[in-house]
Amino acid sequence: MTEARYYDIRCVRGEATLIDIDNGVVESAGTSFFDRTVVRVLGPKGWGILTRDHVDIDSKRQIGALVEAATRLAVATHDLVDLADAPRDLLPVPPLAEDPREIDLEEKTRLLAGIESAARIPEVANTRARYTEGIDQVRFLDSGGNEFSYEAVRSGFSVLAIASRNGVMQMGSERDHITTGFNLRDKQDLGRKAGEVAVSLLDAKLAKGGAMRAVLDPELAGVFTHEAVGHASEGDLVREGASVLAGKIGERIGREGLVIVDDPSLHEFGFIPVDAEGVGVRRTEIIRDGILTSFLHNRETLAAVGDGVPGHARAEHGAPPIVRMSNTFIENGDATYDEIMAECKDGILLIGSRGGQVDPGRGVFQFNAEYGYLIEGGEATDMVRDVSLSGEILSTLHDIALIGDDRRMSPGYCGKGGQTVPVSDGAPHLLLEGATIGGRGE
Amino acid sequence: MNEGYLTDKVLRAGDALADEVEVFCTRNRSVSAGIKKGILGTAEESESWSMTIRTIKDGRIGFSSTGDPDRWRECLDAALASGRIATAQEWGGLPVPDAAMCSAPSADLDLVVGIENAAGMVEDLLAGAAEHPVDVVGGGADLGRSHRELANTNGVAYSMERTIAAVSLEAIREQSTGYEFDASPFIDEISPRAVGEAAASLAFRSLGGGRVDTGRYDVILSPIAAASLIGNILIPALSGRNVKAGRSFLADKLGDQVFDETLKIYDDPFRPGPGSTAWDGDGVPTELQVFVDRGVLERFAYDLRTAYRYGEESTGSAVREGAGEPGIGVHNLFIDGLRRSDMGYGQAISVHSVVGAHTANPFSGDFSVEISNPFWIEDGEAIRPLRTAMLAGNVFEMLRDIEGFGTDDRRIGRLTLPSIRLNNQQIIGKQ
Repeated sequence: MTEARYYDIRCVRGEATLIDIDNGVVESAGTSFFDRTVVRVLGPKGWGILTRDHVDIDSKRQIGALVEAATRLAVATHDLVDLADAPRDLLPVPPLAEDPREIDLEEKTRLLAGIESAARIPEVANTRARYTEGIDQVRFLDSGGNEFSYEAVRSGFSVLAIASRNGVMQMGSERDHITTGFNLRDKQDLGRKAGEVAVSLLDAKLAKGGAMRAVLDPELAGVFTHEAVGHASEGDLVREGASVLAGKIGERIGREGLVIVDDPSLHEFGFIPVDAEGVGVRRTEIIRDGILTSFLHNRETLAAVGDGVPGHARAEHGAPPIVRMSNTFIENGDATYDEIMAECKDGILLIGSRGGQVDPGRGVFQFNAEYGYLIEGGEATDMVRDVSLSGEILSTLHDIALIGDDRRMSPGYCGKGGQTVPVSDGAPHLLLEGATIGGRGE
Repeated sequence: MNEGYLTDKVLRAGDALADEVEVFCTRNRSVSAGIKKGILGTAEESESWSMTIRTIKDGRIGFSSTGDPDRWRECLDAALASGRIATAQEWGGLPVPDAAMCSAPSADLDLVVGIENAAGMVEDLLAGAAEHPVDVVGGGADLGRSHRELANTNGVAYSMERTIAAVSLEAIREQSTGYEFDASPFIDEISPRAVGEAAASLAFRSLGGGRVDTGRYDVILSPIAAASLIGNILIPALSGRNVKAGRSFLADKLGDQVFDETLKIYDDPFRPGPGSTAWDGDGVPTELQVFVDRGVLERFAYDLRTAYRYGEESTGSAVREGAGEPGIGVHNLFIDGLRRSDMGYGQAISVHSVVGAHTANPFSGDFSVEISNPFWIEDGEAIRPLRTAMLAGNVFEMLRDIEGFGTDDRRIGRLTLPSIRLNNQQIIGKQ
């Protein structure tokens, strides 16, 4: 019988509540239940991983049988994995200002309907709002005797407005998600904003493609940080040889003064009190003063690659942990918004984000703004729509000409390896030189 | 566990509390062999079970799901509670059993869900990749079998099997990457070795890519590139719910010549594919649905609830993913049109895949994406690789003016399509 060198078991049991209101109609409003367990065993070489529903983590017999089965799987692997030692501690979970479980479904539906109807202004043809609430009871134990349990509560919503005129359709969307309580009260402003953006986009021009100066707002600059640097600094991609940042620790990859951080301990939407391998989480400076300083690691990639900080393993329910970002941001610089606009002079101001994607091996990324304005003589002028940007990881951080002093974090979800986890991204306003803008205007 | 027994229990208990009750159970088993640093790194096996319950009372639809059979009562109560909040709608009843119900080719009886089998596929992937001087940085093989069962209080009790065999490989040479994949319910339809070879070849051939100036070019989208743009934009626009809600570009265009006059778009649930099924997520019998014929918009896709609400007929287009509520989707969507054997005539840029298709504007159809593995084509020959550029356009406009379809039909998820040539497209080069 082959011996397991290590095993861990992570069980997430909980409830997910979803409310969907579409054009004033409550399409669905309900709660579902899940209970998923992942058992990982390190055999003589690599990982054997088992996923099951509703495992009794307190049953030694059941756990023993699952560990044995995972050990048999592990025998099939060839890649020798070692685990680095890592600190073990569990941060306190932030107290809930208001516990969403104490509010009934009727009230949640009513509050969401208020946000949805606020988006319904003249020329808006469709409004839709979705509330999502997740209550996760997480339990973790490993063969080293480490054991943790905690509860994570997430509550938030998104609202979408579609404006329509003479066959032209444009969208505005807003979202807000938190880990610190119930998040539906006094949010009608965001509904109204979604409606207003959608309507103003009806008159927006198509952006012209090409290289130009671009000012990114904090939300878009956050997505830029996530795509341009965050993914490529993930230790698993570095270990596999799939990141252009491999071997570049200690090298200058960005301008002086640039600091880029991933910090799972912040009480933002990507907060975790302990990582999915039971490792304590801490602030990790990926880039310090323009120099690549740390990779994001789990225990395996820290052992294989070094040069970084563990505590970045995360997992969706019922999926094995992989290296992920949590709360990723550029630290404040000292430029004011007015200075950034004046310095830009002629270019484009880009606001909000519809997401992005990166090929970390090729070192190329793309991300998309919700809308923008042309900048002429330092002033924002005509509104533009459907603007994407693309850039190269190894050169783009040198192109940051000014770093603002007004950092703001935005919540979102990040997909990798088929798993989606909550994250937040942020930055102050940034001025980029020579950004490649993908517009289709002539 | 005995699903039939549990389903009956839920239907009986629910019948007393609602007008109609529906129970959908899935049981999945899958294995996966993952590649790490060019060798087999992880071996996974997953089993899952879920039950989703829908209740209908006075036109109000309630929904809940659970992964724990012991919580069925809580799940039923949650579905009923959810129905009390949902807005009431026109409702004509859940389907009754269809005596003529047949089956669709959705499962491979010979497919074995075993880690050794997946490991063998990984060996073939790696052998294919070894034909070119590249490093393999990821990928793997998955095998899965699932059992799906749908029952309602009108006597419907359908069940089916689905199988899936999937492989992928990601290769790199310096800063040139190549990714390829394939998936099918039928294991003999995929060739891990060919997938490995194709990914490695892409990474190798794309090495040393040059630049391209901003301008208008003829573009050949591979089936992968075309599928990611069409999947994100066209499929949502065909959904009857989006149409009625005022968020489909195609909403008021039924009967109009909306696309190129050779274009045909149809959903065939009886062709072999990952979405093959004889009954949809509501229990409605599926049939061939032609959405666009000769470029004319013929119909939209409806599930039961949307059809009842707006006085339309269900097109059997309800799909279920995981333990979620059924929604409008496609089973096996085919895109067809005028084929040309000389797709690469003259000068053009070929695009293998795109980065950021999900950021397209699904309502207007506008997109601007980074292109991957582009090549400069002259007279059908890939002359040289290009390193990076963006492609900007509008999917609805593109489909109006198609230069031609290739003969290289390929299944990408639930979409099957050939490569598409589009002339005079906007390319944005880098400085």
